Amino acid sequence: MTSKRPELRVISGIDAMRGVGATEPKGFWADAWSRVLGRTGAIIALGWIGVIAFLAIFAPLLASGHPLVLTDTATGTRSWPLFDNLSASDLLLVIGAVVGVPWVSFPLRIARSTRLAALLIAGLQAGLTVVASVGVAEWFGSPARDLALRQASREAWFAWAASGGVALLFALAAMFVSPFASRAARLVQVLIVAALCVVCLSQRWTPALVDVDRYSELEASGAATAIYTLVPWSPTQGRTSLNLVPPGTRLADKLPAFEGTVPGERRFVMGTDNVGRDALSQMLHACRLSISIGIVSTGLAVLIGVSVGALMGYFGGKVDLIFFRVVEIFMAIPVLFLLIVAAGVLPRNTYVMMAIIGCVTWTGAARFTRAEFLKLRSQDFVQSARAAGLPLRSILFRHMLPNGVTPVLVDSSFAVAAAITFEATLSFLGLGPEGQPSWGQLLASATGATGLFNWWLAIFPGLAIFLTVLSYNVLGEALRDAIDPKLRKAAQ
Amino acid sequence: MLAYVVRRLLLMIPTLLGITLLVFMLLALAPGGIGAGLTASSGQVDGSKLALQQAYLEDRYGLKDPVLVQYGRWLARIAPIKFGTPDQITLAGEHKSKPRAIDAPPLPEWFPLSDAAIAARDAATLKRGVVAAINETEREDAQRAYRRLETDYVSSRAAYRALTKKLGDELIEYAIAQQISGVRTSHGDCRFDVIATTPAKRDASNWAAIEALATQIDAAYIRALKSYQLIDVAFAAKPFREAGVAIVPGVISIGSPDLGVAFSKGRPSSVLIASALPVTILLNVIAFPIIYLIAVPSGVLAAARRGKWFDILSGGLFVALWSIPVVWSGVLAVGYLASNQYVGAFPVAGLHDSLADSWTFLPSFRDDGAFERGYLLDLFWHICLPVACLVYTGFAILAKQTRAAMLDNYSADYVRTARAKGVDRGTVAVHHVFRNSLLPVITVFVTVFPATLAGSIVIERIFSVPGMGSLLLEAITNRDRELVLANTFMVACVNLLALLLADILYAAADPRVSYE
Repeated sequence: MTSKRPELRVISGIDAMRGVGATEPKGFWADAWSRVLGRTGAIIALGWIGVIAFLAIFAPLLASGHPLVLTDTATGTRSWPLFDNLSASDLLLVIGAVVGVPWVSFPLRIARSTRLAALLIAGLQAGLTVVASVGVAEWFGSPARDLALRQASREAWFAWAASGGVALLFALAAMFVSPFASRAARLVQVLIVAALCVVCLSQRWTPALVDVDRYSELEASGAATAIYTLVPWSPTQGRTSLNLVPPGTRLADKLPAFEGTVPGERRFVMGTDNVGRDALSQMLHACRLSISIGIVSTGLAVLIGVSVGALMGYFGGKVDLIFFRVVEIFMAIPVLFLLIVAAGVLPRNTYVMMAIIGCVTWTGAARFTRAEFLKLRSQDFVQSARAAGLPLRSILFRHMLPNGVTPVLVDSSFAVAAAITFEATLSFLGLGPEGQPSWGQLLASATGATGLFNWWLAIFPGLAIFLTVLSYNVLGEALRDAIDPKLRKAAQ
Repeated sequence: MLAYVVRRLLLMIPTLLGITLLVFMLLALAPGGIGAGLTASSGQVDGSKLALQQAYLEDRYGLKDPVLVQYGRWLARIAPIKFGTPDQITLAGEHKSKPRAIDAPPLPEWFPLSDAAIAARDAATLKRGVVAAINETEREDAQRAYRRLETDYVSSRAAYRALTKKLGDELIEYAIAQQISGVRTSHGDCRFDVIATTPAKRDASNWAAIEALATQIDAAYIRALKSYQLIDVAFAAKPFREAGVAIVPGVISIGSPDLGVAFSKGRPSSVLIASALPVTILLNVIAFPIIYLIAVPSGVLAAARRGKWFDILSGGLFVALWSIPVVWSGVLAVGYLASNQYVGAFPVAGLHDSLADSWTFLPSFRDDGAFERGYLLDLFWHICLPVACLVYTGFAILAKQTRAAMLDNYSADYVRTARAKGVDRGTVAVHHVFRNSLLPVITVFVTVFPATLAGSIVIERIFSVPGMGSLLLEAITNRDRELVLANTFMVACVNLLALLLADILYAAADPRVSYE
């Protein structure tokens, strides 16, 4: 019993002034966040979203019909088809994840003892940027550069050294140069590097079309050996002779020509769809669409909704009346109706889809912000900001917004879940982005024109959608319970 | 209350205008413009036929006009107050408006009308021909005659317009050779008024073609004028029922909205919607009591047993159900429960069995003792799975709202007082707390109803139920502008009326709320 009693410590006045024994008070969001993390469900949900995000970034490396290493059995020469055939956007995402995220999240002040570790991390990053080496070499080797550079770029070491060196340089800059001692500066730096990468790589924005099936034929004939990453199929790689193959089927089961060879033993772990494309590979690649549509469209909706809602709440009166009519117009019809019409007539690509989901679902955020701002605008701090003659922009977004944005942010977790559902639904209806694997599209081929039910195309993509949506919803619930003081009190 | 309802109904008008304008603009944003679906649907036809078809469509729908003008025209058809000669409605429900007059051929300065054309324009000459036509129609069925005349009129008018367009193309070529600028409109058509201001150059390379076309146009004009005159008289003879009630005859009348003809199906949109809307409403009307009957009691129970296993379990279960996308549950239901590969206990598609029409309405036993489902039971059997897929998403929001409202009221003073004076727990829960928690439960309707309505689109697609959702998807794939607009309009009406109903219920549930 006695051990449980808090230990009394006598501290001197000077110590008290130094702040000894004082616990730093948590900020509002830090407090909410720690409450969210106190829930098992929320942690699992976060974990699942993390997995999906990881797959979204690394899907091109994990599931590709291009082998990681292709060795010519006759000459013994090696090539790296997987890296050669990454598209520029894949490359950028991988670089961004490997290099950008550590740069931004690197500790701002580094103790002398941890510098060695930091250097090691920087070296690791530099090593990982070999992914970029092909692009860098190509950029240096383009006809516009001078002869020496072009010749150098043909050497095998050059690309590695160049990209590694650039990465190392930036990492060192991030660590030791003072302008990079703030997160914002580093974010800007990463964005600049990303922009540079885009410029460098724009030439090879679309890699040459390669017949992926060639690799298995080379392998089967014994001309080469190949090492694949996790899934040896590309999402677009399909043979009509392999359509609707149930999970676990070997290639040789369907194509007897491959019997007894290495590629013949490869399996379609989750079966294939109605044109013979591997379902697992498509599932992995579809993570990108799902997660990016959820986040980007919700971001757009929040941006529009908060701006409109802020104006409505702050001005009230006629502005409120007019904008509320607009909000009502969007609420007059179920969102999905409007989405179907928009997706049906506009060009089918990812960006348009993000835009239409964002532009149709903003009314929720607008109503929340309006309600908050109506409450806030008569409060003293807003009145004094006004009396001080601050510009409208400052009053609205610097003073009022941080106090009124909470409900919108809590709701946005549910909004992401809804956006993912909308994307899946539109893809299911055949109105999704073209030429891009998506869970909804896979789900749609579960009940084909033949009338047969292909259970693997229903279970796996459906489960993926369900779990992702569930994660965002659980996260939203946890966040709401953590923030809403009334509910918190009721729960205690 | 009545004043409030009337005000709300009036406020619905701008909202409806807004939503239809939004959809109209979206359709106009589509690549190829608002008429893309029309012109694309022509398929494989040879050049001259295509030109005819295009001329007809442009003329009929005014596709070359600005989008707002086209929208205004659509609105004028929708509006209940009509001006001018009232439309006539065929038995199929199609609105026939007064035939439009034929414009004079372009460039009268260069190519004056032939004597025959002037004669055709002359009313006295035409009257004689018309009287002969009328005598003929009296012998025939008036409606069939009208249709024949209409076909004549439409084809001659289209031929005339197609020729005019062709002349325009020749003239643009001519203008380029003569270096006359500004002869092209934004749609790439010829501006005859600009050409007319310049003197005719008879030595131009394509002059022969232009002159030949002008002669053809003259002939086509005469033909079109004659058929116009015939159909005009035939229309005035009122072969069909006149639409609406005349306020000032021939000037203002009040009539039902004309939702146009769905051009992908060749049938009036109103007829298509009249058969689809009841199906969607039926699904929702059956779904809603189920949602409320399951979600509200579980919310009440969860609040009463706060923190106990029922509260936690029902909360978790409902969130999980809420997260199941309708597309997935629908596909699973079709695949496992309806498809013969697995359980196969339910019908896969449609609303009725193919034999349902020959059955009695209620279940019965046939003469040989065999059981017959009957029409009604068959219908319920068919909508079993669709309704099941429709209801579960609504549980979470409703149950959560009920629980929160109940909890709010449980901590109120009057509950403590009631308990203190000895009212038992159940009575407090039902009579005091639940009665006061009704308001939020009704408010949730505003969120749940549109979601369920939207859910029914997907459900209808998966289970091949011929409702509004299936109709909309068909219309969108065919780019059927009239049908999309009509569909949006009706769905918005239903949705807004449902929301109004919720507000009226709100006032009924809480005497403190009054809308005066």
